[in-house]
Amino acid sequence: MTTAGAPKEREPLLVVNGLGAGYGGMPALRNVSLEVRRAEIVALVGSNGAGKTTLLRALSRVIPCTGTISFNNDDLVAKTPDEAFATGLVQVPEGRQLFDRMTVADNLLMGAYRRRDRAAVANDLDRMYTLFPRLGERRTQLAGSMSGGEQQMCAMARGLMARPQLLMIDEMSLGLAPVVVEQLMDVLVEIRKQDVTVLLVEQDIHLALSLADRGYVMDTGSIARSGAAKDLIDDPAVREAYLGLA
Amino acid sequence: MTASRLGVAVAIVAVVAVLATVPLFSSDVIVQFGINALLLAVLAQGWNIIGGYTGYASFGNSVFYGLGSYGVAIAMVQWNLPFAVGMIFGAGLAVAFAFLLGVPVLRLKGHYFAIATLGLAQVMSAIVSNIGIAGQNIGLVLPPLNNDHLFYELSLGLLVIATLTVFWLTRSRFGFGLIAIRENEEGAAVMGVNTTLYKVLAFALSGVFTALAGGIHAYWITFLDPDSAFDISLNVKMIIMAVFGGPGTVLGPVLGAFVLSAVSEILSSKVTNLAGLFFGAVVVAAVVLMPRGVADVMRQFRTAGWRYFVENLRAHRI
Repeated sequence: MTTAGAPKEREPLLVVNGLGAGYGGMPALRNVSLEVRRAEIVALVGSNGAGKTTLLRALSRVIPCTGTISFNNDDLVAKTPDEAFATGLVQVPEGRQLFDRMTVADNLLMGAYRRRDRAAVANDLDRMYTLFPRLGERRTQLAGSMSGGEQQMCAMARGLMARPQLLMIDEMSLGLAPVVVEQLMDVLVEIRKQDVTVLLVEQDIHLALSLADRGYVMDTGSIARSGAAKDLIDDPAVREAYLGLA
Repeated sequence: MTASRLGVAVAIVAVVAVLATVPLFSSDVIVQFGINALLLAVLAQGWNIIGGYTGYASFGNSVFYGLGSYGVAIAMVQWNLPFAVGMIFGAGLAVAFAFLLGVPVLRLKGHYFAIATLGLAQVMSAIVSNIGIAGQNIGLVLPPLNNDHLFYELSLGLLVIATLTVFWLTRSRFGFGLIAIRENEEGAAVMGVNTTLYKVLAFALSGVFTALAGGIHAYWITFLDPDSAFDISLNVKMIIMAVFGGPGTVLGPVLGAFVLSAVSEILSSKVTNLAGLFFGAVVVAAVVLMPRGVADVMRQFRTAGWRYFVENLRAHRI
C-alpha cells in the first residue's frame, strides 16, 4: 500500500488505449480508451449491452483483446488472468460469484489466496469485519444463505482481501434495495480514503455518477462521453439519452 | 478439538497396523480379497482428488489404470526392467497423459467433461491393441511372483500414501484452490487461482495413484490385455465407491471401497447369480438415503438420528 495522505491523484494507474474485443468474430468493443488515476472513483456507465462487462473481462484478461492496457506501467495484454490479478487488478464480478457452500470467513480468506503474509491477512480480515459489521456477525454462516446485499458485501470484502490497487466492481447495485446500495456507496468512499482506486461499472447511471469523480459513458461498444462526473450528470445529451430527462 | 483429532489419528494408525498384520493369520482367500479391496480403495481415493475435491467427474481414470498396468508390463516383459522401474514408468505415462489430454478436456464442464473422458478409455484400448510393444490385442504375460503377502503390503502402503496425500490436500493452499474450483470455478479464477494449471495438476495427481494401483494389479494378476486394462466399468466402480463413502472427504472413499467390496463379496458367495441385482439395490438405497456418503452420515447421525435418512428422502421428493 502506498502511504495515505499525499494527494498523488494525478498519477495514472490504468491507461487503456484503442482497446477492441469481441465474441467469436462479433466485435463488442471498438477503440476504447480510458484512464483511471490513483485513488479515484471512476464510473463506467451505459445501458444494457453497451460493452461494460466485456471491457472488464478484457481488463481482467479473461478474453483476448487488441490495443494496449497499461497498469502501473506494466503491460497487461500479454498476461494471463492470474498474472493480471497478481499485479493488483481485482474484479468483483457481476452476480458476485461467491463460494456459496463455504463460510463467509472462508470466502474472505479465498480473496487472500495469493498472499502469504498470514499476520497481515488476519489483520485485514478484522478490518473487513469493521468495514462490514454484518459480515462480522455472519462470519461462520454459509455465504449462499445470506441476502443479496450481504452477498454483495461479501464479494466486495473478498476482493479487498486481495489488497487490490484497482478494484473493479461490476453491477454493484443490481437487484439490491436502495438502502443497501446506500451502505455500499459509503463503503466505497471509505475504501477510497484508504487509497484503493475503484472502477465502478453500473447500469444505474445516476447512482454511479453521483458518487464518482469522473465518468465514462459507453454506448454500443465505444466511449460516447467522458469527463467529470458532475459535468456528465448535467450534460444534456447524457441526460436525454440515458437518464430519460429532458 | 486437538484431543479428538489426536484420538482419530491414533485410531487410524491402529487400524493400519492391524490391517498390515492381516496376512500373517488369514487364509489366502482373505488376503486376495484384501488386495482387491485395498487397490479399489486406492482407485476411489485417486478419483476423489479430481472428482471429489475438484468437482470434475472423470470417466478417464481407467485410462490411467491401463497406462499404469501397461507401464509395468512393458518395462518388465519387453525391457527386462525391475518392477519398481515399471511402476515409475507407468506413473510417468499417466502424468504425461494427464497433461496432454487434461489441457483440452478440462475446459469442458459437467456432463460434457464426463462424456469426453468416457470416450478416452475406448480410444486408448483401440490404440494399445495396435501397438506391437504392448502385445497388440493379445496382451502381455508378466513373470509370475507368487507372493500375495507382498502384494497385500504394497497395496496397503499405496493406500496409506494416497490417503495421506489427500489429507495434505485438505490442509494445503493447493487443495483450497481445488475446492474453490469445485464450488465456483469463475469465482476461483477471479480470485487469482490459475484454474487450468490446478485442474491439470489434480488430474495428474489422481492419475499417478490410479496408475500405481494398475501397476500392482498387473504384476499380481500376471496377465493383461487391452479390454481388461482399459475397462470402463472399473471407472464406474471407483465413482460408486467414492460417492458411497463421501466424495471430497479424506476417509470416505476408503470406507466406501471397503464396505462395498465386502458387500459385493458376501453377495456373490451367498446368492451368486443375483449378486449384481442386490449390489445395485444397495447402491440405489445409498444414493437415496445418504447422498453425501457414509462420511456425512457419521458426522450428522449423532445429532440428527434416524431423521437424517427421512430428510434425505424428503429432499428427493419421493
